[in-house]
Amino acid sequence: MITGTLVIEQLLNGLVLGCMYAAVASGLTLIWGTMKMLNFAHGEFFMIGGYFLYFAVTFFGIPPILGLLIAVILTYFLGVLVERSVIHPLLDKPGWEISPLVVTVGLSIFFQNLSLKIFGERFKSVPYFLDGIVEIFGIRMAYQRIFILFVTAVVMIGFWVFIKKAKFGLGLRATAQERDAATLIGVNVKKIYTITFGLSCAMAALAAGLLAPIFSVNPWMGHAALLKGFITVVLGGLGSFGGAILAGILLGTIESISVIVFSSEWKDVVAFVIFIIVLTIRPSGLFGTKEW
Amino acid sequence: MSEIKKSNFKFLKTFKGIRSDRCFLACAILLVIFPIFVRDPYILNVMIISLIFAVLAASWNLICGYTGIFTFGHQAFFGIGAYVSSLLAMKVGISPWYGLFIGGMAAALASFLIGLPSLRLRAAPYIAIMTLAFSEIVRITCMNLVDLTRGESGLWGIPNFPELHLPLFGVISFAGGVRIPYYYLILIIFIITMLTLYFIVNSHVGLAFRSLRDSQDAAESLAVNITYFKLLAFIVSAFFAGVAGSFYAHYLLILTPSSVFSLGMMIEIMAITLIGGLGSFMGPVLGAFLLTVGLEYLRFLGEYRFITYGILVVLMILYMPQGLTKRLFRDKEILE
Repeated sequence: MITGTLVIEQLLNGLVLGCMYAAVASGLTLIWGTMKMLNFAHGEFFMIGGYFLYFAVTFFGIPPILGLLIAVILTYFLGVLVERSVIHPLLDKPGWEISPLVVTVGLSIFFQNLSLKIFGERFKSVPYFLDGIVEIFGIRMAYQRIFILFVTAVVMIGFWVFIKKAKFGLGLRATAQERDAATLIGVNVKKIYTITFGLSCAMAALAAGLLAPIFSVNPWMGHAALLKGFITVVLGGLGSFGGAILAGILLGTIESISVIVFSSEWKDVVAFVIFIIVLTIRPSGLFGTKEW
Repeated sequence: MSEIKKSNFKFLKTFKGIRSDRCFLACAILLVIFPIFVRDPYILNVMIISLIFAVLAASWNLICGYTGIFTFGHQAFFGIGAYVSSLLAMKVGISPWYGLFIGGMAAALASFLIGLPSLRLRAAPYIAIMTLAFSEIVRITCMNLVDLTRGESGLWGIPNFPELHLPLFGVISFAGGVRIPYYYLILIIFIITMLTLYFIVNSHVGLAFRSLRDSQDAAESLAVNITYFKLLAFIVSAFFAGVAGSFYAHYLLILTPSSVFSLGMMIEIMAITLIGGLGSFMGPVLGAFLLTVGLEYLRFLGEYRFITYGILVVLMILYMPQGLTKRLFRDKEILE
């Protein structure tokens, strides 16, 4: 039965899902915009962020919201460490078009199997940040989902302002536009790269932490997140921050609606087919203008 | 102290490396006579798997290494070949011998379908993600069509190749878990693949491929038909992947979506090609044997096997980005 409430509920669920896609994709688009590289290990930072939250909450008994903050900060530093040790030596070498792709694939295998070894195969569940369900006009929605919407919106807007107004954001945009010119006017490009990479990883950890109570934490959770993140970021146009957010919400909504029309096991196929069709018509993605 | 160091380097400079064409011939002969000396089924199995990966990696090398189209969905063509051939054999009763060819053609057709929308894309990430999405579509579809493919529980009871009557060798049977006939069959497939690739890369087509890799704009301005050559690269590389997949299905006789369509498969193909040397003719072959045999040796590491694998890929890119082959052969290595 397709009823109005069901459609609205699904739309809201799609919005929540879309926020997550946007959070994962915005990290990817950020490093593509500045460093011109694709991070295949992004999903693994997502997974590690989830595990950080799990250990903070269950082992150390830290309240979930504080635990989320700690997980995000720890993942930031892990990202910085990885960028310094593995990505940095590859900069300015020939083959930059492919080498970061491959190196991050290697990292992804490493992290995924390491966490499988350390944390085991068992799915770990994280308690809800907020309990309870709100009901308006017969539409039910868990506080957790509203919390997700709220936090993502605040973080995204905050980040947007940060890029536009802060001095670091200025340097970041200068680097993205014209690297050599940015170096000439005294922007420390390498430092920008490191911080951007860390921020991108932190964003993935945030998404994972928010989602962890709904799904659960496991060594393979990064795979699906990475795939959806890639689709989102290309759909929105690589390098476009606003595009990533809009495409994320669009993709989440499409998926939720397609569950009503088709059955749930086909929802990924629907999303991927739409992705290929859009990319065929508009190779630069929905909102991208740069090279493809 | 410094003089000793210098003379060391001098020694390295006088060492010009091995002539690649002679080495290639020697390896081919060694592979042909290999089963005369080694009949251990386990070792032959490792060799067969290595040869399957050599075909896969060599065909991916054509599209990625020579044409410069970074596809990330090669496992889809392998899987399509495997599933088409085994389903035809099981449901329609078509002989797996034809299945080898039909599986390859089915993969080529699929690559044509995904090649078309990829034509307008140039940057590596766009093509990688588009082909990745395509391979996921194929994987999920295969898992969901439970009536046809039995979904995740997999196909079993795939028929093996019917026996063959050859004038000189008599009757060759593929039944009962024998390894040597399978070894020679995949060796023949491998040699045909390498010869075809050799002729393609050496001809004007190969020249066009490399011109696409180096600069599409320059190639276009010199009247290279980009659409035609890009699709050709897609089709040829997918065809051989499909044939390898078909062989794989009739060799293992069991097939699950996650064994052939998983991203891990693509990662392995990529690691093999890169460790051997992207865009070098022998690279993928060398890489296939090194990694497949290497992974068998790494078995003692147990669960740490894949962790080591990941570290290896990272170290390789950091310290030897051009791959092993270009270190080994100092001549132009058949063709660079």
